[in-house]
Amino acid sequence: MNEFKTYHPIVSFAYFGFVIAFSMVFMHPFCLAVSLVCAFVFSVMLKGRKAVKTNLLYMLPVMLLTALANPLFSHAGTTVLCYLPSGNPLTLESVEYGLAAAAMLVGVLCWFSCFNAVMTSDKLVCLFGRAIPSLSLILSMTLRFVPHYAAQLKTVVRAQKCLGRDMSSGSLVERAKHGLSILSVLTTWALENAVDTADSMKSRGYGLPGRTAFSIFTFDRRDKAALACIFVLGAYVCVGGLCGALDFHYFPAVGGAEYSFFGASVFAAYLALCALPIVIELWEVRRWKAIESNT
Amino acid sequence: MKKFSKPILAVLCVLAVLAIAYFAGGGSSDKVPAPAPDAFAAETSIGVPPPMDAEDAVISDVEHTCTLSVRCDTLLDRLDTLAPEKAALVPVDGALYAEQEVTFYEGESVFNLLAREMKQNGIHLEFVNTPLYGSAYIEGIGNLYEFDCGELSGWMYKVNDRFPNYGCSRYRLKEGDRVEWVYTCDLGRDVGGGTVTERQNDE
Repeated sequence: MNEFKTYHPIVSFAYFGFVIAFSMVFMHPFCLAVSLVCAFVFSVMLKGRKAVKTNLLYMLPVMLLTALANPLFSHAGTTVLCYLPSGNPLTLESVEYGLAAAAMLVGVLCWFSCFNAVMTSDKLVCLFGRAIPSLSLILSMTLRFVPHYAAQLKTVVRAQKCLGRDMSSGSLVERAKHGLSILSVLTTWALENAVDTADSMKSRGYGLPGRTAFSIFTFDRRDKAALACIFVLGAYVCVGGLCGALDFHYFPAVGGAEYSFFGASVFAAYLALCALPIVIELWEVRRWKAIESNT
Repeated sequence: MKKFSKPILAVLCVLAVLAIAYFAGGGSSDKVPAPAPDAFAAETSIGVPPPMDAEDAVISDVEHTCTLSVRCDTLLDRLDTLAPEKAALVPVDGALYAEQEVTFYEGESVFNLLAREMKQNGIHLEFVNTPLYGSAYIEGIGNLYEFDCGELSGWMYKVNDRFPNYGCSRYRLKEGDRVEWVYTCDLGRDVGGGTVTERQNDE
């Protein structure tokens, strides 16, 4: 279901590098909307339908809070809606800016969740194993840390449940007690696991010179095409951004660069870049169907 | 355990933001910060009444009149140094609020007058209360903000052609006062208030 995951790590990394950087730099409402929608769709494609709910669960409160908090601190803007109790004005522009900032924040968070799903630790080690071996090792270990512990926690909870000592029954005090004992089991396991890992690494010769990095990725024609696409689109958006085609200001009144053919083409490039994994996915589905109907 | 951690986190986040909003927004609303100790009180210009404590001001309903104007003439020949969207806000004659006679109430400060008149005339005004000086500081009028025209720029006020050199919440208005708000691009030197800031710098 996610074709983009099977591309060479350098392709995914370049893609996320561009997309996340652009999402953080460009405040144009069009860019924000494109980035947010693409990130949302991509994360749903990566993690299945239940991602819709989890995404909305953190997105909406964060967006609402940011949009509401901004007008409390920023009072610039030409359209005064009303006056706050402090005496400063509440302006339409500060609300709009709050919404834009919220969209950017949530969009970048969503991109990072996609990044985590695509860039697994073996991909990171493949990319940086040679250049910065210890850092990439630490990175891959820390990224693995949370899911690893969550999985172990599940195991412990299940085992405790067999003994009738889980948190689904009993009084509040009993449940808290059981929870703590589960936590204690997990901590003991974590400490032991750390020692085991260290021993295991040492016995396999960690730190000796002349080692290689494991990699099962090959860079083929498909990756070359995708990488070229990403770099061309990314460079075009960069040039457009430097030329001011994506300029937009919220204060004192909202407004942006005037419409031009060049501007529109930069927007199109931005859209194409953000939607690349979705396009690849749809393309692949279509091809699969075509092959299927041929046979 | 996992099931409960998310709502708890969310609730904590909400509480934190509400707390921040309360202290930032509510704190400045009805009580003006404590008056400054005398050690921080700036030396006032000659012929200017001593500053009052804004907190102790008693405002009665006895009406008086004075004149008020808000001008940014200094920006007129510096339009090219402003950001284009800011330059569009500068009035052609430099007057955001042309000089006119206005009513104030006994005990009011220059800040009370400015805030009311700007609100009534739909002119944008942003200020911040500075506890150290026991006064409001005017950050921007009509979306023309401090630092818009270089790092020495901002709003200053003068009464009867003298710069009081203390916060506008601490100047008690008198009948017939002539209050002028002017935008400076050079720490007051370009609007005739240079002596105020220079004397402080020399010390």
